[in-house]
Amino acid sequence: MLDLAQIYNGYYLEKSLLSVMPEAVLIVFAFLILLAGLFNNPSKNSVNSYYLALIGVAFSFLYLFMLSDHTIKGFYGSIVFDKFDVFLFTAILLSGFLTILMSKNYFDTRSVLIPEYYSLVLFSVSAMMLLVSSINLIMIFLSIEFMSICAYILTGYLKGESRSTEAAMKYFVLGTFASAFLLFGSVFIYAATGHLSLYKIHNFIFEQNYNAHYAYNLHTFLAIGLILLLVGLAFKMSLFPFHAWTPDSYDGAPTPVTNLMATGIKIAAFGVFIRVFTSIYSFNVFNFYNILWILAILTMTFGNFAALLQTDLKRLIAYSSIAQAGYILIGVIAGGYYGISGTLFYLLAYVFMTAGAFAIIIMFENLNLASVNIKSYSGLGYKYPLAGAAFSFFLLSLAGIPVTAGFMGKFFVFSAAIKSGYYWLVVIALLNSAFAAYYYIKIIVKMYMSDNNNNGGQLNLSNGRNSIIINAVNTNKDSQSYADNGSGKTALTEAVSLKSAAPALIIAIIICLIFTLILGIFPQPVISFASRSVTSLWSI
Amino acid sequence: MNVNVNDYLAVASIIFCIGALGVLIRKNLITIFLSLELMFNAANLGFVAVSEYLNLMSGDIFVIFIMVVAAAEAAILLGIAIAFYREKGTINIDKANELRM
Repeated sequence: MLDLAQIYNGYYLEKSLLSVMPEAVLIVFAFLILLAGLFNNPSKNSVNSYYLALIGVAFSFLYLFMLSDHTIKGFYGSIVFDKFDVFLFTAILLSGFLTILMSKNYFDTRSVLIPEYYSLVLFSVSAMMLLVSSINLIMIFLSIEFMSICAYILTGYLKGESRSTEAAMKYFVLGTFASAFLLFGSVFIYAATGHLSLYKIHNFIFEQNYNAHYAYNLHTFLAIGLILLLVGLAFKMSLFPFHAWTPDSYDGAPTPVTNLMATGIKIAAFGVFIRVFTSIYSFNVFNFYNILWILAILTMTFGNFAALLQTDLKRLIAYSSIAQAGYILIGVIAGGYYGISGTLFYLLAYVFMTAGAFAIIIMFENLNLASVNIKSYSGLGYKYPLAGAAFSFFLLSLAGIPVTAGFMGKFFVFSAAIKSGYYWLVVIALLNSAFAAYYYIKIIVKMYMSDNNNNGGQLNLSNGRNSIIINAVNTNKDSQSYADNGSGKTALTEAVSLKSAAPALIIAIIICLIFTLILGIFPQPVISFASRSVTSLWSI
Repeated sequence: MNVNVNDYLAVASIIFCIGALGVLIRKNLITIFLSLELMFNAANLGFVAVSEYLNLMSGDIFVIFIMVVAAAEAAILLGIAIAFYREKGTINIDKANELRM
């Protein structure tokens, strides 16, 4: 084993390498997967790369655990590994782990290149972790691009399906557009302060060192720079006026990739926003709190209203994730110790409930029982009582009903906002979440209460989606027998049938269920973990 | 003639706005990508001008990274454009109309 303490006090290069160890492990495994893919029989290569990807994530967790007590700065102050990273790395790695578990079953029935897929997932997860730990505008730009390029490829991964390609195209154009805004914002911040490191910019603004060596108005430059930087980051967080890519790319992407985008990329974007916010925006130089305040309200309200109109489940979750981004933003605005730790808790809770919902959508999609159209979910709650109950639980958690992780997340975020005096913001957010409960519960009502006139095993797919779903023979048989027997199924036979269909998916769903429940009932350990990790934000 | 760093930033801003307009108005995928490149290069110009003025290296280093990233993005875009062309027979983005409300 490595003697960490010795290296920790040692040379600069070792320190730099140590500060990116969890990411480096993932990148090594991503290359290993590519290499192993060369020697494989193309017909059964999926298994090796799948297990290699899982082992890579496990090793990354191991290194994260070994390093978790240290604070290491590396690469000339562009990357830092601290307690804040430990929490967000955990959330990002969990999101990657759940995505990999879901992917195996999803891609078994589709003809795509498997090793490249898993290596891209590992690359994008490592990019998200780099993004969270970067404290320099160069590093932030590079990791955002690294993450986005992997995400563009993954979005368009269903080769030959026009919806997937179209989603990748729209995501690429809007994502690069956002990166250009981020870059141009950095130019003006650089012009105003002369620094690219977040902490040096922080110190510069803190000292109000405006008697610098050039003559023009630095205040204006700083304001322009901060606004453009905010636009660039808001695109990645999918806040309201900059959300346009979200529904399209969530809808067209393969469902496990949608899960990775909805959980991992959102966490990484909020992670870097929290770093930038606490170091630059928190001075409230140009009343940025008011801008963010308005953005949060618009994002929540728009997301919820648009979600109400959707008939496609993936689009509905996309719009609801826009609304969730609004709730998370409230925590950031509330700021301080309570606000940020509540935000972190919400992000972790969001991973479990969203991943669980997507795992169940994949399961129904793969059993060919339901398309992503909400109508096709009618009566599924009777035929599959266990899966239906789990799906209802995740939806209730997203809606924020008590005893779920979603409720505790909202509770921490909103109470932090009240502590900071944002009463009206909380009132509007509460109204919004009451409103949001309507469309979540609408799906549950559809599953349990609507008349069951369409046969369960029948294909009910819309707009050409069936062309790519090549169903395995045995799942067809299963669903046929369900159709024959009607709705009087016992939970036992359902469990057997689902187990034969997708062991990895079942594991993912069970993990999500357990954690959604635990975070809802005993949030104390996780919130204290979050509070401990927040302290490092201000201590560098 | 004395060229101020302000002027460089003004030119960079104009180029950036032209690029942004191009992304919003143009319909051809390749032209859109050229407009995106224009926006990136406006940032490059700004960085070079500012870091020359302040006698710092970090802006120049940033420019090299931006150029490398832009090259990587060109590769991805061309891949997406070819896939799009195979399915639709055109790279006009108006044909990307399957994902709607």
